[in-house]
Amino acid sequence: MRYSYIRPREKTIVTSEFKLVTSFFSVTFFMLFTTYGFLLYKNYSFIKNKKEVVYEIIDLNQSIFSMRNEIAFIENEKELATSIFTHNSVLKESIANLFDLVPEQITLSKATLLKNGLILQGITPNRDVYNFMLQAPLRSIFAQTYSSFYPASNGWLFFVSKNYVDSNETLIINKEE
Amino acid sequence: MKFKISRQHLYLLFLSLFFFIVVIFFAFFALIPEGKNYRANKLALRVEKIQKQKYQNFYDEVYKKLKQLQSDNRRIIVAFDTKFSVKKFKKNYQSYFHTLSIKPYKKVKKYNDFTLYEVNATSHISTPKTFYKFLDALNKSDWIVEVNFPIEFKKEDEYIRSSFTMKVYHRKRVKETTPLKQN
Repeated sequence: MRYSYIRPREKTIVTSEFKLVTSFFSVTFFMLFTTYGFLLYKNYSFIKNKKEVVYEIIDLNQSIFSMRNEIAFIENEKELATSIFTHNSVLKESIANLFDLVPEQITLSKATLLKNGLILQGITPNRDVYNFMLQAPLRSIFAQTYSSFYPASNGWLFFVSKNYVDSNETLIINKEE
Repeated sequence: MKFKISRQHLYLLFLSLFFFIVVIFFAFFALIPEGKNYRANKLALRVEKIQKQKYQNFYDEVYKKLKQLQSDNRRIIVAFDTKFSVKKFKKNYQSYFHTLSIKPYKKVKKYNDFTLYEVNATSHISTPKTFYKFLDALNKSDWIVEVNFPIEFKKEDEYIRSSFTMKVYHRKRVKETTPLKQN
């Protein structure tokens, strides 16, 4: 027996309002967690990249340091090589000047170039030729000049001439001392 | 006026309120601090990258200078690195002398970053000009050689006997420099 003309409404917990609220909050939570996840990932990535950049800076710094050392060393090498080349060239000029200094009348048998002096041994026709043509120019170069003579069998004179510059000078510039 | 709300709607209201509070808390205590960190980290990374770029530019500049220097002074660098060889020296310079004898060389001392070897040579030359040519050639040799005192020239028959000391400079490599990279 029926007491009502309408059918009873089915009662359910999932009503349309409930669906609306849960779907709204579902979307909200999804967006929040996605944003949070994105931020976490990016922060991790930034920190990692920053560490890598810092290591690269340290690496670059070390390379710059070693390169600057290398540059300093090469400049040092260049300077040393230039001074050695100059030394050799000046030495060549000094030896050439020495041989040009000796007049034709005098014959040298031995010449020794020292750091601070010059020793010449040879034969001269007489003392005057030696004194005027060799000793005079030697005196203008060297601070101390000592000469000794002894007779040769042909009537000429053997001579030994020892010439020294001042103790604080050298014949040519010697960078080491 | 009487406000009537069903129990079901009341539950729904409480649920919404709860979710809303969760959202607010999450936003203020997790999302916003993380967002601030994001901005700070992004800025810090940018600063480091700018710093790195400055170092990179300086590195490029120094690298270019080093390469230029190495290229301009290649002969000197190679000469300082080349170990002295009596055999090769005699082979290269024998032509300047009638005879050339070299005593075995010895290490004498250290000169800054270089090892210094002393070499005694005795030779016979026909004229002093040959010796000048030898000195000129020495400045272009495979080694860095300095002719040093005492130098003796003595007449022996038709030749001049010359004896002299040479100093050979060799680069002392304590350790190899770190390999250089070009980014």
